[in-house]
Amino acid sequence: MLRLWNLILFELRKILNNKKAFLFLIVLNITPIIASLALLIAYISCKSLGLGDFQFLAMKRIIQAMFTSHFTIFGYTAPFFLALIVGDSFSTEFGRGYMKTLLLTPVRRWQVIVAKTSSIIIFLLIAVLLGGFILQADLFIARAITQPSGVLPNPLQEKLMDTSISMVSVSSAFQLLVITFVANLMMIGFFIVFSMFFESAILMTFCSIGSVMAIHVFYLSAFMLKELVKWFGPLEKLCFTRHFTDLFSLNIIQNVLDGSVTILSEKVLEPMGFSLLWAVIFYVLAVIIFSRKQVLH
Amino acid sequence: MSNSDYAIKVTALHKMFGDKTVLDYLNFSVPKNAIAGFLGPNGAGKTTTLRMMLGLLPTPRDKIELLGHKLPGDRTSALERIGAVVENPSFIDTLSAYENLKWFGSLYKPVNYSRIHEVIDMVGLKEATNQNFGTFSTGMKQRLGVAFSLLHKPELLILDEPTSGMDPVGRVQMREILLNIHEKEKTSIFLSSHLLDEVQKLCNYVVIINKGRRLTEGYVSDILSSNEEHYEIRVSDDSIERTKNILEAAQNIVKSITLAPRGFVVDLENDTSHLVNEILVKAGIKVQALIPLEQSLEETFMKLTNKGSNTFVSSTETTQTTKEKESKEGEK
Repeated sequence: MLRLWNLILFELRKILNNKKAFLFLIVLNITPIIASLALLIAYISCKSLGLGDFQFLAMKRIIQAMFTSHFTIFGYTAPFFLALIVGDSFSTEFGRGYMKTLLLTPVRRWQVIVAKTSSIIIFLLIAVLLGGFILQADLFIARAITQPSGVLPNPLQEKLMDTSISMVSVSSAFQLLVITFVANLMMIGFFIVFSMFFESAILMTFCSIGSVMAIHVFYLSAFMLKELVKWFGPLEKLCFTRHFTDLFSLNIIQNVLDGSVTILSEKVLEPMGFSLLWAVIFYVLAVIIFSRKQVLH
Repeated sequence: MSNSDYAIKVTALHKMFGDKTVLDYLNFSVPKNAIAGFLGPNGAGKTTTLRMMLGLLPTPRDKIELLGHKLPGDRTSALERIGAVVENPSFIDTLSAYENLKWFGSLYKPVNYSRIHEVIDMVGLKEATNQNFGTFSTGMKQRLGVAFSLLHKPELLILDEPTSGMDPVGRVQMREILLNIHEKEKTSIFLSSHLLDEVQKLCNYVVIINKGRRLTEGYVSDILSSNEEHYEIRVSDDSIERTKNILEAAQNIVKSITLAPRGFVVDLENDTSHLVNEILVKAGIKVQALIPLEQSLEETFMKLTNKGSNTFVSSTETTQTTKEKESKEGEK
């Protein structure tokens, strides 16, 4: 157990030691960074109104909208970055011989897969949390720079306007993290299976992303084509990408944020369940392939 | 010898890459506390054998035993007691020598930081402790590889071409490092190499293979000793022809004659050099010198590998042939 823990820490150290990781953190959080600028513009534009409460409300709406879009954009763009990170963790290590050195130590091959996945998930969750923290910090700043006007009596003001300085509830934030974890676990598993056959991260990324796109395009067109060709129907069910897009749809994220849907609702639970099932399939496949893989470099 | 006396025991190991047979039911064993050389020409199957021993290639069940641990089942238990470097060692380019050893070492057991400094010092990389691995020369990388393999005080060290890419000084230093480790830490060493003189200076046991089959194995002293002795006979230039005729006539004791710059090199029956000297002196030839030549591993290696994989030279080989046939039949 201690060995596995050390391996996870080592893998995390390798990811964080990579300059690409910092670039990914910036790129994946481009929305929160833009939100900070938008906040400044909103403050200057609303200053003429002279009412701190309205200014804060406008800013809060902007930030909340940014959070929803950040999460959706994150959901759609993360796979591209994930493919690159997985490629770096497996394909590059096969090519450069790091994997050989790792396998000369008494670690088991499944432990390598678990450790690398855990470190990538931790990195990904750091990226999500970082975005959330930046947006939450924006909200604190917005509250600090916009003082209550005092025009409306306090009880009435609280009824009319959302003066809370929490961007999302703790429960919603936790549920969004669970969705991120499950959906990305499936994608990471898929990329790991792919990375077993390549020794170049870039090549692996192009091929795996190309495959993901092909599968999803097939899924999008299958709803019409299955009427013409019968075997398109069963094939459509195998398109695992649909569960990923379902989980990161704007509709679901908004519903989770406003509390009208939880991760236990059928709408979320079904794609989450299938994502987990696919994740198990991909990881079993990855372990089988890896245990038979010849490490030649 | 019981199984527990072997550091390595390989039985009927077979491997094919596509249609090509790389290991052809290979058998060999290495006793504990030996410094064993693993020799063979290019493509003989040395690296493939080492990779299979270390689990880098899929290992068939119960064909390899390391320190009494059967592979692949006991692979992790075996690796806890083994240090290994296969071909060019690779570490994380952006981490220093110290950090690489710290992180990779943590996968064996909790890292003892003083041990990291000790092994770095042992391989002569003290000044490069905080230097990034990416900036290391080939020789330095090899040294760090050896340092890594020593970190957890292994009982068996498996090294693939540990001096490849090193200059002559580096090779001598590496030899000293390995001898030192063997003496101080009682580590058995198994190393593959093309450098036969290095192996002869370092190893007391050798395994020679070709085309995936064992040609011979045993203690170097046993392999080099044979029924023949080699001598250089120096005579004056005007006696060359006569000497040659006399030596050719003494077929019962002179096995072969080769012309050398100042006389001949001859292969003689054991303990017959004084007779050759006597014959030549009686025939009026002034023998300037009779110099004994030590047989080198290189000669043995060349003889064995040139004869091909079906040739077995030592007495143990007869047993080997029978064993291999048996195991082959068993496999089939």
